Amino acid sequence: MNIRKLAWRNIVFNPLNTILSILLMTFGVGVISLLLLLNNQIDKQLQDNLRGIDMVIGAKGSPLQLILSSIYHIDNPTGNISYKEAEKLTKNSMVDLTIPLSYGDSYNGFRIVGTTQEYIDLYDADLSKGVLWDKSMQVVIGSAVADITNLSIGDMFCGTHGFGDDGHVHDHHHYEVVGILKQSNTTIDKLIITDTKSVWDVHNSHDHHTCEDHDHHDHHHADENHNEDIYNSDKFMVTSMLVRFKSPVAFIQMPRKVNETTNLQAAMPVLEINRLTNLLGFGVQTINVIALVIILVSGLSIFISLYNSLRKRRYELALIRVHGATKSQLIKLVLYEGLTLSLIGTVFGLIISRSILFVTSFFNNQIFSNIEINLITEELWLFLISLLIGLIASLIPSILAYKINIPKILSNE
Amino acid sequence: MIKTESISYTYDGNLNFNFPDIHLSEGGSLLVLGNSGVGKTTFLQILAGLLKSESGKVQLGNTNYNDLSDNEMDYFRGANIGVIFQKSYFVRTLNIFENLKLSLVLSNKKYEENNIINLLEDIGLGDKLYSMPYDLSQGEQQRAAIASAVIKNPELILADEPTSSLDDDNCQKTISLLKKQADKNKSKLIIITHDNRIKNQFNNSITL
Repeated sequence: MNIRKLAWRNIVFNPLNTILSILLMTFGVGVISLLLLLNNQIDKQLQDNLRGIDMVIGAKGSPLQLILSSIYHIDNPTGNISYKEAEKLTKNSMVDLTIPLSYGDSYNGFRIVGTTQEYIDLYDADLSKGVLWDKSMQVVIGSAVADITNLSIGDMFCGTHGFGDDGHVHDHHHYEVVGILKQSNTTIDKLIITDTKSVWDVHNSHDHHTCEDHDHHDHHHADENHNEDIYNSDKFMVTSMLVRFKSPVAFIQMPRKVNETTNLQAAMPVLEINRLTNLLGFGVQTINVIALVIILVSGLSIFISLYNSLRKRRYELALIRVHGATKSQLIKLVLYEGLTLSLIGTVFGLIISRSILFVTSFFNNQIFSNIEINLITEELWLFLISLLIGLIASLIPSILAYKINIPKILSNE
Repeated sequence: MIKTESISYTYDGNLNFNFPDIHLSEGGSLLVLGNSGVGKTTFLQILAGLLKSESGKVQLGNTNYNDLSDNEMDYFRGANIGVIFQKSYFVRTLNIFENLKLSLVLSNKKYEENNIINLLEDIGLGDKLYSMPYDLSQGEQQRAAIASAVIKNPELILADEPTSSLDDDNCQKTISLLKKQADKNKSKLIIITHDNRIKNQFNNSITL
């Protein structure tokens, strides 16, 4: 029966006050922690998917839109560009890698992206089943696509124009699934990837086969219609081109060259992402302030409950002193009580934010596939701040306990 | 032994008490009588080291209170002095057993569960070990309060009006209990009271 146990008994003895204080602390810490974790997750996703892409070339329009659509596949394309023109611009010793992207169609909400196999290498994606495409109209699907659409090797499907469900169905062309990728926790999990030519074929041929016509022999003529050098054709269009630089000098020269000498647009992912996180940051800050106020209210609640119980416990504290407790032991007693309340609240808050993320990711496995169980750096601060608030809240009551006038309290006269 | 030499205390600069010297050897007991307002409780609190005398000295065993710092006085009181009040005070979040345990722990004496159980059985509270203190009757509360003061075998037992709110029956029980416990531990017992019922039970008394 030491001071710490006594503090614990006092906490348990007043369940309503205790629950209120803990609940407020849990709520405040939970909200802030949830925002921090989400922010952390989004940041990580944004950075993870960059894959060293230094520049994206696309049609004129919003640079942010170009980045969002070409790298993260969460916005509409800005338009089409001539492959030849883009390729010409990037035939440069400063350029390390270029990958063309053609998109605009989807299947069950998953985007169909025409590209080269370098795109798969870019994401270090491995096949879990099947093989990569070797001709037009063959596709490799991401793990999330496979999970949700139940497509498997050998299945045929038709793309829909646009990204909604109500677009025009390209029912003259069907894609064949030849490979399924392993989960990589990147944007590629949610993509249907095929050769650039497939997308070109779908939009430029005039065949009249219906999607319901599942005759395997029929779809082969699509690539027979086009010879191998469509890449050199003036008419060959793509949606954008991902570019990786070899030299840092290119960061200064290339975007200017593209933007000033052509009617194409060059967007820098790093700049656009910074712009985006700054925009998001404002909303996050506002909610953080509100949550911080809740934590402060929790501190106030701890203060009030300690203060009230101290008034009721005057005799008890005096008795403990008579039994031989020192003044500093009384301070310890009150501080223990306040700190225990805020500690429990804080730990609950950190657990609850993780539980919420876990539950949401369970229902939507595409967004948060790997939840951070450990404390992230900002949460360490959150932890310290809420404990500090608990400490400050118990400071005044503990000083009152220190100053308690035993002779007066225990006097009969 | 406990002895005091010309101790005094002043409240707010005008209410001035000068207390007679006392000297009590091992196993002795003393009744301090006096009407309200003569400073009986002040006297007890000085003996308990809760108030500091403005002059003279208080010595318990070989220790002069004047030589102790505040913290040292707290430890010294915890280890050597048991105090009983007119009203019984307990830590209300702890049961009777735990209250006694707390008293023992704060006195830095060795904790033995059996000692607590034996003492409580001895004073007729064997079946109230795990009762919450304020669920007991007034007489039982007073006995439990005495138990938590004597469980640490103090050198000095101080009792401030221990019987004044008790009926005759409980009054007798309490006094004989105090005497018995003091005898058992060879403690010095000082009772401060204006209760005439117990005057005749002590042969050593002073009046303030």
